[in-house]
Amino acid sequence: MRKKIAIFVLIGWVLLIIGDRVDELRVYQGAQMAMYTIALASIVLLTGYSGQVSLGNGAMMAVGGYGAALTLNNLGTPIWFAFLMAIVTASLFGALLGAAAARVSGPYLAGTTLALAVGLPAIANQFAFLGGEPGLLFDVGFPPERFGDEFTQYKWFFWIASFIALIALFITSNILSSRFGRTWRAIRGNSLAAELCGVHSSRMKVLAFTVSSGLAGLAGAVLAMTISLVAPGAYGLALSFALVTGAVLAGISSLPGVVLGAFILVVIPEISVALADRLGDADKLNNYLPGLIVSVLLILSVIFTPNGPGENLRKHRHKKPAH
Amino acid sequence: MQKVIETLLIGLSTGSIYALMSLALVLVWRSTRVVNFAQAGQAMLSTYIGFEIASRSEIFWLGLVFAIAAGALVGAGVDYFFMRVLFKHATSGPAAVVAPVIATLGLLGLIRSIVGLTWGGEFKSIEAPASTDGFSVGDGTIPFSNLDVLIIATVSIILIALAYIFQRTNLGLALRASAYAPEIAQLAGIRTARTRTIGWSIAGAVGGVAGMLVTSNNFLSPYSLDLLLVFGFIAAVIGGLESMVGSVIGALVLGIGLTFILNYVGTSLVFIGGFSVLILVLLIKPDGIMAKGKARRA
Repeated sequence: MRKKIAIFVLIGWVLLIIGDRVDELRVYQGAQMAMYTIALASIVLLTGYSGQVSLGNGAMMAVGGYGAALTLNNLGTPIWFAFLMAIVTASLFGALLGAAAARVSGPYLAGTTLALAVGLPAIANQFAFLGGEPGLLFDVGFPPERFGDEFTQYKWFFWIASFIALIALFITSNILSSRFGRTWRAIRGNSLAAELCGVHSSRMKVLAFTVSSGLAGLAGAVLAMTISLVAPGAYGLALSFALVTGAVLAGISSLPGVVLGAFILVVIPEISVALADRLGDADKLNNYLPGLIVSVLLILSVIFTPNGPGENLRKHRHKKPAH
Repeated sequence: MQKVIETLLIGLSTGSIYALMSLALVLVWRSTRVVNFAQAGQAMLSTYIGFEIASRSEIFWLGLVFAIAAGALVGAGVDYFFMRVLFKHATSGPAAVVAPVIATLGLLGLIRSIVGLTWGGEFKSIEAPASTDGFSVGDGTIPFSNLDVLIIATVSIILIALAYIFQRTNLGLALRASAYAPEIAQLAGIRTARTRTIGWSIAGAVGGVAGMLVTSNNFLSPYSLDLLLVFGFIAAVIGGLESMVGSVIGALVLGIGLTFILNYVGTSLVFIGGFSVLILVLLIKPDGIMAKGKARRA
């Protein structure tokens, strides 16, 4: 435990130093990456550990984003409380949804979450307090003055996002190595056997979806912070697709892998813009090339390395002595 | 009273299109144990092909035939080139259970981007094969039109054809057997893998029809069939995912119910209504309306 804390503090320190050395765009991408790590951790917990699929994690992120924005805008609370409320709203919502869809085994959770992601714009338009298509403002304010004039807004985002991501990953890794993590793995492996050992499997599955939704909600609030806005467009199906891809690419049951997955998700749009520039016809390409890259990566990785690149490496290592 | 009847009729027309989509999902689920979320993408690709043919030849029915053929080909291709490979590779480890579902999501994204790169994102429309002006009843007109009659008729013909195939032909028997007990079917001399591919292609063809019909009084875009997929899924869940009859009944009930919401409450509540139905069914009767109280199979 102490070693783990030391590692996380060390990572945080390295991030601080890096944040001072690189330019604005990279700092902003750093904040994005921190956001993706939290979101991917929520998928690893849900899919990699408890064996359920959510195809609409973006929608759960939206719930968190709206929760945070409503708290901040209407109650004028400190920022940290808004982020806390993001977790609370999303977990409550996740618990309700999970009680219906995660309780029964089968493809129901995947379908229900996908339906939610598809219908998100319709829901946002329905309730006036969600601000419709343009959404709600989410402004965490300027960086504190004592950091000096040099300290930019993006760097402030980066600091907040990385700090939240470090805490979230620390807590998640502890949950996953606790009794709950083991129980989820047991259910995923063989739910009948787990039940014979006294595990209440449907309750544990709902719990997994609840915790995962809370994490996703936190990521949603961080995303809202980086774009200063909560709007249905930012949390669409494309985001959910990208998240599943990132999680599968990095190894769906490996928590450290989420950093790699987040890195890939940040890099894909850059590559796609560069490619689109070279190929011409920028409009069509800009709209559909990122999706194409994401889905091709997803299909290839799900077919050839469904358990993540780590597994194949391990296999090779085990094979060698036999020859 | 007149409003109730016209809502019922329109609901029937809407529901019959949902029925095709939910049938496509159920067909694949029964044989492969995967809810094929790529069905929206397959239907979209077939509809775009049908749209090309229909707008060049100016004959809707020729477009429909091509959409059916394209749907069947794409469906078979997805099973043959993706699902078979996938089931060969992803056999163990934490991802084995979830890999097929995730793969269908990837396929949906892939087909969407290909369609987007080919046809662009603008809305397209297909000239409807029949008049969309409502019938006149007494002094006024009701929104129920020739097109709706045509949609209901087309769907009925397809349902009858499917029922015939499944109940009266050897192919239908093979399809049912390999869905019900693949190993026993194999022992009885059925080539289950090939049968499954045929099942996927039937589902693809049915999805293509659904796409063409829904587009005939609406717009076509790379995203326009997502909602059809969602409602098809909800209908399939109402029917219990296993039963083809159940999914058709579920779709008609859902279509009529949502049209009542549309006509009496407002457009914006349609999705929320459908979603609430899904949650309610899962809470109250997760095995669907056709469940006979027996244990679920695997």
